[in-house]
Amino acid sequence: MPALLTLLTLDRLGKSYGAVRAVDGVSLSFEAGKIHAVVGENGAGKSTLLKMAAGVVVPDAGEVRVGGELLAPHTAAEAIRRGVGMVQQHFALVGVLSAIENIMLGAEPVKSLGRLDVARARARADAVAREMGVSLPWDAPAETLGVGDRQRLEIVRTLVREARVVILDEPTAVLTAGEVSQLYATLRRLADGGRAVIVVTHRLDEVRDHADQVSVLRHGTQVSTRAIERGEGAAGLLRDVMRDIMGEEPPSALERRAREPGEVRLEMKDVRLGRTLRGVTLRVRAGEIVGIAGVEGNGQRELVRVLAGLDAPDAGEVRCDAAAVVHEDRRAEGLVLAASVRDNLVLGELARFTRYGLVDAGALEREARVRLDRGGVVPPELDALAGTLSGGNQQKIVIARAVARSDRVSVLVFAQPTRGVDLGAARAIHGEIARAADAGKAVLLVSADLAELRVLCDRLLVLARGRIVAELPPDAPEAEVGQAMLGGAHEALPEARA
Amino acid sequence: MSERGRQAIVATLAGVAAGWLALALLVWIYGESPREVAGQLLAGTWGMAYGVGQVLYKATPLLLTGVAVDLALRAGLFNIGAEGQLAVAGLAVGTVGASLPPGTPAWIALPAVIAVAPLAGAAWAGVPALLRARFGAHEVISTIMMNRIADAALGLALARGLGIPGTVRTPDVVAGARLPRLEAFGLPSLHGSAVSLALPLALVVAVLAAWWLARSRVGRETVLVGLSPSACAAERIPVARRVGGALVLSGAVAGLAALAPVLGYKGYYESGMGAGAGFGGIAVALLGRGHPAGLLLAALLFGTLEQGGLVINARVPMEVMTVLQGVVIVAVALADSRVRAFVASSIALPKRSPRTAGTR
Repeated sequence: MPALLTLLTLDRLGKSYGAVRAVDGVSLSFEAGKIHAVVGENGAGKSTLLKMAAGVVVPDAGEVRVGGELLAPHTAAEAIRRGVGMVQQHFALVGVLSAIENIMLGAEPVKSLGRLDVARARARADAVAREMGVSLPWDAPAETLGVGDRQRLEIVRTLVREARVVILDEPTAVLTAGEVSQLYATLRRLADGGRAVIVVTHRLDEVRDHADQVSVLRHGTQVSTRAIERGEGAAGLLRDVMRDIMGEEPPSALERRAREPGEVRLEMKDVRLGRTLRGVTLRVRAGEIVGIAGVEGNGQRELVRVLAGLDAPDAGEVRCDAAAVVHEDRRAEGLVLAASVRDNLVLGELARFTRYGLVDAGALEREARVRLDRGGVVPPELDALAGTLSGGNQQKIVIARAVARSDRVSVLVFAQPTRGVDLGAARAIHGEIARAADAGKAVLLVSADLAELRVLCDRLLVLARGRIVAELPPDAPEAEVGQAMLGGAHEALPEARA
Repeated sequence: MSERGRQAIVATLAGVAAGWLALALLVWIYGESPREVAGQLLAGTWGMAYGVGQVLYKATPLLLTGVAVDLALRAGLFNIGAEGQLAVAGLAVGTVGASLPPGTPAWIALPAVIAVAPLAGAAWAGVPALLRARFGAHEVISTIMMNRIADAALGLALARGLGIPGTVRTPDVVAGARLPRLEAFGLPSLHGSAVSLALPLALVVAVLAAWWLARSRVGRETVLVGLSPSACAAERIPVARRVGGALVLSGAVAGLAALAPVLGYKGYYESGMGAGAGFGGIAVALLGRGHPAGLLLAALLFGTLEQGGLVINARVPMEVMTVLQGVVIVAVALADSRVRAFVASSIALPKRSPRTAGTR
């Protein structure tokens, strides 16, 4: 093994947002040839730290050094020029442009007279893709690509700009299990090629299986950095990391309670919508949790929108008692980002706090405070704007709101309830979902996370190509579930390529 | 005071300073002494009682159209149609005021004509509101079109029946329908200026509007809808109704702006009366930043500039004041942190030349 080469150094970095100290004196160094995981709860400062490393956010204390030299000026453009590239949590692709055009965007190679040199761009992208061990359809519009391909495209785009340090912010939050191992295979090749790879993640099993080092942040400060050894000590290491993350012993896993399903509260009969829902039939009874499994983009989003009454189906029948819905896109459909946490916690319920047309501010404040505390939102500030909170804490607001309504609804729908949410919060959310069913609510849970579905659900429905293709018990073998998901995908291939 | 509030004040002061510099430069180009013209401008506005009264008179409709545009902005709408809404309300007020029986006492006549103004403005705004709520037609286009329609329709109405034949004005309103001038209330020092009860009425409306947005259920929902229609729709807030309602309400307030010239000053409606106040309201709303005090200050500023233009017209063309208004708006927008951040993000990215970027 060659001598370790430090590519990126963070020296006592600090950053405050208003009164909140997001990052406080964190020093880390990242070495060539290593995959370095950064973990911590939502709001621990991971994203802020790495955005500072990538020049996107300007620190108010400390410095960033690339290859030993100070990053100055502290801008994203300079960081890219010096070989530090970041793949953001929310992809920044132009949907109508082709894959290759997205790669060229902002760094277009040109021939004489300013003509675009597509051939050169393509050759370069091909070389990078070969190094990564992937292939991409360069001419397909970005919006037609699956989530995994979009992410690979973002990585190619970073590498084409000569990145030696590659930062990925929660890259696996949107991926299926197969795609996750593919991603890490790619990242390993990049590390072996002499790059430093930095991954922010919530999934400790990934850290255990794929990372070389792991650093834990808590409340903006650095708690620990460990080298990871595979084999014997792995389980103990994982437990130590978990304790560092939470600052206490990890809570025990969810306990299943037997429930007796009651009347049908939610029913869809042969529901069709455009090309995405092609005859969905399902039933959810009071006191049961029904899971929708499947590869993303097979109609999950539309299914939830139809249930919520946002889209009217083209055909079929939907019978649904009063429902509270958690949509999968919390930024578009869950929250008013520019409004306060207070307003978001009671969004759509102002009528309850209104007398003679006027809002009873005191009553609203009390209810919002109750929900804030129960949801464990950090920071616990009702006046903060929802958009300034971390993704996980935004999700806590949405969940707290839905759960608080359960005394007035008989159906709860959760779409991707724990996406991008840390372990502690995910457990809390799982607890809320289970409690709702225990209390006799009919619960529909749509998730890309099979482990989550297995833990919570009484029945599993597999959605593929806009149809329910299988109903399985929650403990069905993984191969069987995968088979069902793929069954739909196989069917999809000829039509999509035609 | 909040960080944003401080920023807003600094930005506005910087904008006004830039406007004064531009004015000085223009005056100097015209060969006049900037110092003398500025002195004259101040003396003719805030330096004498009549000037103060006239500034307040000019600021009255601007404050109301400012509130009107601001209400729409809060719902995510750009109401360019205050101009037409004001004009239609002006004709309606003039016509109703003139057709009351001559001896109608003020306590009947005044409430009646005052009520006509918001109704007419709301009706005129109702068309784009309905188009927007039902069909999603963009309100910028439809309110501009309604301005043009108002122009043509008012001319026609004045020529064919509502106006005194051979003129472009309505008959005088009955005595009881006139808004008393403030000088009648022990403020004789205002000295013949046209500032009337319409001013305190406008102040009340400005405060009421802010209160409605903050405290009423519908007002709060309107603000939330303006910030994220998709999230509100997902939570069952009736987005189309809130948006349409905000535009109608905006039109009603713009209609109230017709009261100052029609009932407080002339006593009849005349073609072109109040023209410019609708567009001025856009500037007032942008400067006022959704705060009633901000809207009032902005209205006073633009009222001063308008009156000031008349004062200095003998030495330099009054259009220099229009230039000044423009400079103030652009400078304030530039000094605003949101705009600065936007500009910075759009010019900071492509640092490397396209030739070298991404290739070896």
